[in-house]
This record gives sequence, C-alpha cells and structure tokens, in this order.
Amino acid sequence: MEKLVVIGAGMASGRLLEHLINAAPDRFEVTLFNAEPRGNYNRIMLSPVLSGEKSYAEIVTHDDDWYQAHGVTCRFGERVAHIDRDRKVVVGARGEVPYDKLVIATGSDPFIVPCPGHDLDGVIAYRDLDDTNRMIDQAPGSRAVVIGGGLLGLEAAAGLRLRGMEVTVLHLAGHLMERQLDPAAGYLLRADLERRGITVMTQASTKCIRGDGSVEAVELEDGTLLPADLVVMAVGIRPAVALAKDAGLSVGRAIEVDAQMQTSDPHVFAVGECVEFAGQLFGLVAPLYDQAKVLAATLLGEDAAFAPKQLSTKLKVTGCDLFSAGDFTDAPGREDIVYRDPARGIYKRLVVEDDRLVGAVMYGDTADGNWFFGLIKDGTDVSDMRETLIFGPAYQGGAAADPMAAVAALPADAEICGCNGVCKGRIVEAIEGGATDLGAVRATTKASASCGTCTGLVEQVLAATLGDAFAVPAAQPVCGCTDLSHEDVRRLIKSQELKSQPAVWQELGWRTPNGCHVCRPALNFYLLADWPLEYRDDPQSRFVNERKHANIQKDGTFSVVPRMWGGVTTAAELRAIADAAEKYDVPTVKVTGGQRIDLLGVKGEDLPHIWADLNAAGLVSGHAYSKGLRTVKTCVGTDHCRFGTQDSTGLGIRLEKRLWGSWTPHKVKLAVSGCPRNCAEATCKDVGIVCVDSGFEIGVGGAAGMDVKEVERLAKVATEDEAVEWTVAFVQLYREHARYLDRPYKWLGKVGLDWVKDTLSDAAARTALVARFDLSQTVYQSDPWAELSTRDRARGFAPLADLTLEAAE
Amino acid sequence: MDTVLETTKTFVEVAEIWVPENDRLVLSGGVYGRHDAFAEASHFESFTKGEGLPGKAWAEARPVVLKQFDGSYFKRTEAAKAVGLTSAVAVPVFAGSTLKAVLVVLCADDATRTGAIEVWAELDGILKLEDGYYGAATHFEWVSQHTQFPRGQGLPGGVWASNTPILMRDLGSGYRFIRSESAGKAGLTTGLGVPVPVPGGATYVLTLLSAKGTPIARRFEIWDARLAKTGPRETAKLIDGICEREGPLWDPENAGNERVAHAWEGPVGRVLGTGLPVVETGAAAGGYAMMVGLPIHRGGELAHVVAWYC
Repeated sequence: MEKLVVIGAGMASGRLLEHLINAAPDRFEVTLFNAEPRGNYNRIMLSPVLSGEKSYAEIVTHDDDWYQAHGVTCRFGERVAHIDRDRKVVVGARGEVPYDKLVIATGSDPFIVPCPGHDLDGVIAYRDLDDTNRMIDQAPGSRAVVIGGGLLGLEAAAGLRLRGMEVTVLHLAGHLMERQLDPAAGYLLRADLERRGITVMTQASTKCIRGDGSVEAVELEDGTLLPADLVVMAVGIRPAVALAKDAGLSVGRAIEVDAQMQTSDPHVFAVGECVEFAGQLFGLVAPLYDQAKVLAATLLGEDAAFAPKQLSTKLKVTGCDLFSAGDFTDAPGREDIVYRDPARGIYKRLVVEDDRLVGAVMYGDTADGNWFFGLIKDGTDVSDMRETLIFGPAYQGGAAADPMAAVAALPADAEICGCNGVCKGRIVEAIEGGATDLGAVRATTKASASCGTCTGLVEQVLAATLGDAFAVPAAQPVCGCTDLSHEDVRRLIKSQELKSQPAVWQELGWRTPNGCHVCRPALNFYLLADWPLEYRDDPQSRFVNERKHANIQKDGTFSVVPRMWGGVTTAAELRAIADAAEKYDVPTVKVTGGQRIDLLGVKGEDLPHIWADLNAAGLVSGHAYSKGLRTVKTCVGTDHCRFGTQDSTGLGIRLEKRLWGSWTPHKVKLAVSGCPRNCAEATCKDVGIVCVDSGFEIGVGGAAGMDVKEVERLAKVATEDEAVEWTVAFVQLYREHARYLDRPYKWLGKVGLDWVKDTLSDAAARTALVARFDLSQTVYQSDPWAELSTRDRARGFAPLADLTLEAAE
Repeated sequence: MDTVLETTKTFVEVAEIWVPENDRLVLSGGVYGRHDAFAEASHFESFTKGEGLPGKAWAEARPVVLKQFDGSYFKRTEAAKAVGLTSAVAVPVFAGSTLKAVLVVLCADDATRTGAIEVWAELDGILKLEDGYYGAATHFEWVSQHTQFPRGQGLPGGVWASNTPILMRDLGSGYRFIRSESAGKAGLTTGLGVPVPVPGGATYVLTLLSAKGTPIARRFEIWDARLAKTGPRETAKLIDGICEREGPLWDPENAGNERVAHAWEGPVGRVLGTGLPVVETGAAAGGYAMMVGLPIHRGGELAHVVAWYC
C-alpha cells in the first residue's frame, strides 16, 4: 500500500478521502493530521450551530467510527512541525510519518486587523468550533462588536443576536456584502438585520480596541466609542501556507498548484483554501470539492483537470433570502433589468451584456436564482426572453405592484394633508358627497389647499374612491427611473422615514438599480435636508461643480472665489488673494456682482494648493458653485452712509455667518440694504432685507436672471434678531419643501406666499424651523477647502478618473 | 406501515382541527389516541364565534392556552376529565383576515410529563409570555413568566424577527443565556417556534419545547412553501427537520434539491392544497401515533408548513 499523509482534516481533504476510499479502498495507507482536536465537520454550517438552529453532532461529516472503519490513522490535535521533502517524512509533535504522497490541506487562517488591542482577551476570529463555542459561552446581554459585514460576519452577528447579545456590525464599505450585493440589495439586507435588533454601521473604520487585559470597547476612526465584551473579527481569510513555504514549495499568494493539484514537488499535492491556481484563490466550498475530485483522480493515476467555475453565494441567516451570482458591476454596454416590489421587500436585478445574462442579484424572492445562475454559467442567449426574463422560467404575467394599492390600504384616520390636518376619511366623505375633482376636494376639505405637497396623494384618494370616473392628471416624474413626482418623493421620504438613497430606490420602486444623473442629485439633497444626522452626503450624487467645490470653466480650468462676509474684506485678505493669483498664474481676477473676488483659470490639480494658501490667510470657500447660500450683498449702512437707517453690513455679515455652508434646492442669494435707496439691490434677491427707520422689511422671491422679479414682502420686523430668525426660518422652509432646482421665487409660485406667511407667522413653527436649520448646520457648516486641501484628499484632484457612479451634468 | 409504539408517553395526547362552516366551527379531523370517549363527545360538538375554546381563539384572533377546565368556558370538561385530559391550547389559523381553522391540542397532566407549549405576545416592542402549559416543568414555567425577548433574541425573538418558523436544537445549551439552567433541569432539548399570524397586526409566537422523556414530538419538519422560494405554486421544500429515528432531515450537500411536497400528495401536500392544518395517525402519519401539520400564512398566502410527529 502507498503511504498517503494528509495535513488538515477540513472539508476539501475530507471529500478527497471519500473519493479515494470509494474508488480504491485498499490503495492507500492514510495518516490524517489535524491541528484541531477533531475530524472533519461541515465548517460552513457553524453559523447555525452558533445560533442554536443546528447541533454540532448534526454537522459532523466524519466521526471516529468512520475513520476507524476506513483505516485512517488520525493524528488529531497535533500540529505538523515541518515537512522533510528529502526524506519524504512529515514531522508532527508526536513523531514523524513517512509518505509516498503528501497532501497539504491546511486551509486558511482568519485575518486579524492589526489595530492596537487586537490581541486583547475577548478578541476572536470566527473560523472553527472553538471560536463558535467561545461565542456561545458569552454571557447573556453582553455587547458584541463584529468587525466585517461580509457573509461570515453577518452570520456571526445574527447568531450572537439569537443568543441574546447586543450586537453591532462594523463594515468598512458603504453597504453590506459589497462583493456579493449591489447597494439596493445591501439596503434590504441591512433593514432585515436591523429588524433583528442588530446595529449596522457602514463606512466604519476601526481605529483600535480598548481594554485592560480584556476587551472593553472598540474605537472608530471618527471617535465613536462602542462598549464591547466580545469582538469578532470576520474581515477575511489568508491561506495557511507557512508549512509549505518552510518546506520550500513554490508559494505565491498561496501554494501554487497545477490543474492536477500538484505542487512544485511531484510527490506533494495541495487542495482547498491553501492553494493558488492560475492566480486565483478559493474560499467557497464548491470549487474545493471540485479540487478534491480532481486530486483523487490524480492520486489514482487518472486524467482530470481542475477548472474554476462561476459561483453563487448563500447567506445562512434564517429569514434573509438573498441570491447573488456573476458580475453586476456597471460597465459600458451592460443593461440592467430591475424589478422591485416595495410592499414585499423584493428586489431583483439582472445584468445583460451582449444578449447574455452576466449577473443576477436578488433579495426577498430567490425562487429563480438557480435558473438565472444556470443561464449565467451556460452563457445562454436571452434575447428571445428579454422582455419576461426577470419573471423567471415560470413567468406568470406578474407586473409591478399597483401604486394605488398603498393609498387604497390607508386607514380612514391616516392624515393626508399635514398642513390642514385632513385625514383620508374626511376626503373620502367629501368625494362621496360630490367633490369629484381636486378643486372641489380642496374647497370642501382644505386638503392640498396650502403647501400643495399632498396634491398627488389627494388625487390618488380620488382615484381610489372613484375608480375610472377620475383620471389622475399625469404628474411630471422626477426622471425615467420613477413615475413619482418630486413632490411625491419628498413627501414619501419624510412619511416613510427613508434615510438613504438605496432606501428610496427600493421602497419607492425605482426602475433602475441605482438611479441616474437626474434623480441622484435631487435625492441627495432631499435626504440631507430631511435627515441631516442620519444621511451621509454622497459626493457622487453631485454635479461636477459641487464635487470639485469650484466652478468648471469652458476650458476645463476652475474658478476660485473666497468668501467675503457681507462683501467686506481687509488688506491682509486682499494681499493673500493677490499672492495666490500670482503663485498659481491665475490669468483673470474679477470682482463679481455679489461683492466677491473671483480667481478665474485655476488648474484642477492646483485647487487644493490654492485653497490651502487662502485658508492659511483665514479665507474660506465662497461656495460660488453650490446649490446653497452664495452671497449676502450689503451696502455700508449706518457706519458710513448718511442715509443708512440700520447696520446693514453687520446684519449681512451675521446672516452670512449663520447661513453659509447650508445646502438648498437651488442657489440662494441675499442682500441687505441700509435704506430704501437700496444700494445693495436687495429687492431682486431670493431674500432681500431693506432697512427702514422702524425696522426691517423682509422680502422674498426676487430674481434677476432669466426671469426678473421683485421680491414680495414676507414680513416687517422691528429688531435685527427677528430679521435673522425670519430669514433662517424662511430658508429652512424652502429647504424642506421646495423641489430640487426650483429657486425660491419658483417655489413660492407653487405653494403661494400666503401659505409661507401663515406658516412663518406661527412663532412656534418659526422656532422649530430655526432649530432644524441649526441642527443641519452642525453637520454641514464646514469649509470644504480646509477638508479637501489635506494631502490625502488632494489626490482626488489629480487628473484622471472615470467613476461609474458619478452623476454627470 | 405499522404504527410505531414508542415506550415513552408523549406530551400531547389529542389533536383536533375545527373549521368554519357557516357561522360555526365544526370538527374536520382529530387524533384521539386511546381517548375514544372524548372523541365521541367531540364529534357531536360545534362552536359559534366566542364559544368554547376554539370559538374563543376565533373571536379573539389569538392563540389561547387553557390550563384549568373546571369552571371555564371549555365545553367538554366532563368528557375530558373522564379520560384525564387537563389542559388545552387552541391555535387559530388565519390567511389574511380569513379564519381557515382552529387547531386544538390537549394534554394530560401528571407529575412526570415535561414539555412546554407557550404563547408569546408582543407588548411595547418586546415579546412577553401570554400563557403556557408546562406539565411538570414548574420551575421552567416560573422562569418563562419572568423572561422577555427583544426582537431577534432567543427562539421567540428569532421567530418574530425573521417571521419564519425556527427549529432549535439542544435547548439546554441554546437557552443557556436566558432559560438555560432551568431548561436543562427540565430536560428540554428541542424547540420549535412558529409565527401565528392574526388579523390586525398583533404579533404572536407559538413555541413547542420538547423533552427527551416525554417528547412533544419525535420528528419535526419545516417546509418552505413561499412562491418566492419554491417557484411554481403548491409545492414546498423540506428546509429543516430532525427525527429521532432518521437523524437530521436536512443536508447542505443537497441544497437546492431538498425533498419536495406536492399539493394533495400526503398530509403535508394536503396542507398545501387546502391551506388547512391536518392531523393524522398511523400509516398516513408516517407510522407515528400522531402527526400534526400546521400551515403558516403570510400576506394571505401559504408561506410555511410545520409538521410534528409523535
């Protein structure tokens, strides 16, 4: 009999032994080493053992009886010290064993993030039964932090939660399982896990693990401190190659093998996660089993060759139904087919290229996963079934869910018009009483008679109540991704508490996987305006000027405009501007209509440097590119002017310092004139304040661009404090209600100045608006120059780059 | 196939199905074991909404545990007492707002029979024990009464969060953190948790905790019948299960090719076809003395079938 020594009793080598024993039971005298004190068990089923949904006994593949029955000599719990290839012996802790053929199946080691504190007691990996038992033994109510939101990390998190722990998952990427899922499916998965009481933090980078001997907390790069009794590292694996390397075998990222699983030594073979084949590593079980089959044939002298195949993924968390296969990254020439059913939490996306299915992501409805996987693997031409492909092999004529259903399902006491407190029942009553169109409903109930954002909803109630007798006027949809209007989207973001773009895409049934260049900037604004603390601004959903924080010019250069509070500057600032203009060869220096100095013709790669220089002189970005506060223009006021009635310059500076940095639906320009002579031209601004002897006249909705329009009076107030309060409240109301890219005058044209006046006349409402604005400013009032001129960030301004998710202007 | 006569007594002695007919619940099937007299009494019974135990489960749209027949609304007290049946649990089966049936199980009390049938209800965002029948596991009963489950925690919290049935093994260790010591002492090993959907959105979870000596069941099965998982209608896949005789009823190596039940074929198939629970005995129950198949509807459609055999 040939002497076969196998190092590692994992799933790959276990399958190899089964093949060998089935094909030639008497051919080999097998010695099996395993560092773990046990034989082969189904390692990928450790997660249900952790959660309690399976017992360890159920996942044992080969028990003692099996090894005994097949004459396998087990050296379990014994580490192999080294391999002596010259003498053809394996040296274990308890003595050496000669071999004719050697199989290395050492698998992989978990990757431990080498942050400070990674070696504290209570920091564990998730790899084997011992790790699993360590987690099971953790006391109830303990706090666990799982680092890594991939397959393994999420399974650990769900299991720990079921075991009664408070669990937080930290994930470095923007969405969970980013290698297997797109953002939309990642959003659904996150929602599913959060429903289980698991806290999920994405874009969370671990700085260190704190503790005195044992784990006490995890500290993130942003300073967040998460108390923890247990930290589970599930960030990836590394092939275990030390033994092979020491033995002088050819090792790249892992042990290099040929298609017969032979290493650089013809008597030594390798199989499983420790091998590298054609530059590829392996972590899922299917290719490992293929390798085992090939290696068994090789050892038996038969012809066989290993060829990697397409893989699909399964997450073993009860109740989370997801499927992903193939390649679903965006690329030119690829086309998406998307199906969403928000009510049932279903998202399906197919990626087609050259009439072939190349990728599939599914959440909630995975019935056809294997069929799609087959189409991907076989490269089937899908052009004939393109129209119905998304519905799977048993296409049953399914269509998108009826958007009316949600409205029809609302109870009678559901509030439809928030402004006037009108509920659905009252509207239905009015309709049944003869109010069969929008105007009549408005007149009867006051629903949609104020700000108008519920108009679409009222129309849907009309349609749901009257059926065919009412035709819903076609609202202009945001873009081709949806049938919903901007107003509907804004309303639903608030009412359904949608706090991320994937949440909007999914819950509002977007037809595209991740929006388009039209809807993304609008959604980005709506979300940051409504959820300043929860939503994170997405630079890739911004127009190029906002992404670059500078206005791009027709020759590809940029303009740089430092902020000058209220149009006031100093000799030192002017000197710094002049120095910067010379240093960076700025060809044009121009004074703007908004009382600023514009440096035109700055090269993209110089931007971070010129910003840094201007920053050093105390100048910050003037946001001359943004949908946000641009300038507050002032006249000199009582300080210098004979006609000045108030300190217009001081008020202008105060307003600018309060409002700068805030994002708005479109640009916002202010002016403060010290007397009715109006030298600051306040009466054609979005907000224009004219000072008079008795106080401040606040006008809103002016324009001096494509349209020219004089402001209308919003209010007259006695004190500067009131002028600031009213202005801030107005800007916040505009931020909360206007459609993206509507200037204030356009928005006022839709909702009516009367509604705005009524709303702002309520002191409590005004206070609340100001509070919400100030809350938002705690996040957004920061100078992008200071942030972006640091060296790391500056790299992003070097010429290059085609970011697929960027919104183009 | 012969009925297997296991040597140990089972926890549940009688199971019966009551279905709505006009404005009453009538008996559509039952397994009564040796309790012929109680069977006789039941065959002539029917319940209006709110009447008796099945009528109460219907009217109140929730699972109901009744541990004391004397002086209660239970209508067959004399017949039950005569054969030693002392407690009962009624589980309404709703598809959306439609009552499909009420499953009633009855247990006999003695000093040694251990197990638990529990009903957990959500109150203020947490699952609390509504009521439960524990046989001789009195300490465990006390512990359960003083335990609460947040979303995602423990068998009840896990069922609630995932909205799917869950079969937990080795409850002694699985419940280590909350009810372990007590569960271990009571010999409770396996737990089946089942969501009980009712109209109106209230959350109820039914758990069956089984002890080795007096098992609630010797075999548990969970079938996934969701269209989103199985594709064509009226089939179900056996996604999990454990059996005293056959061992695990799942095989990860066979993922995607699980055992499939087809509508109308066998008792699970009959649950699929009708959307109603079934109770069987003898050959129709795979040779077990009693088989119960319980459908779980979601959004008005059949989503899962759980079956237990004892």
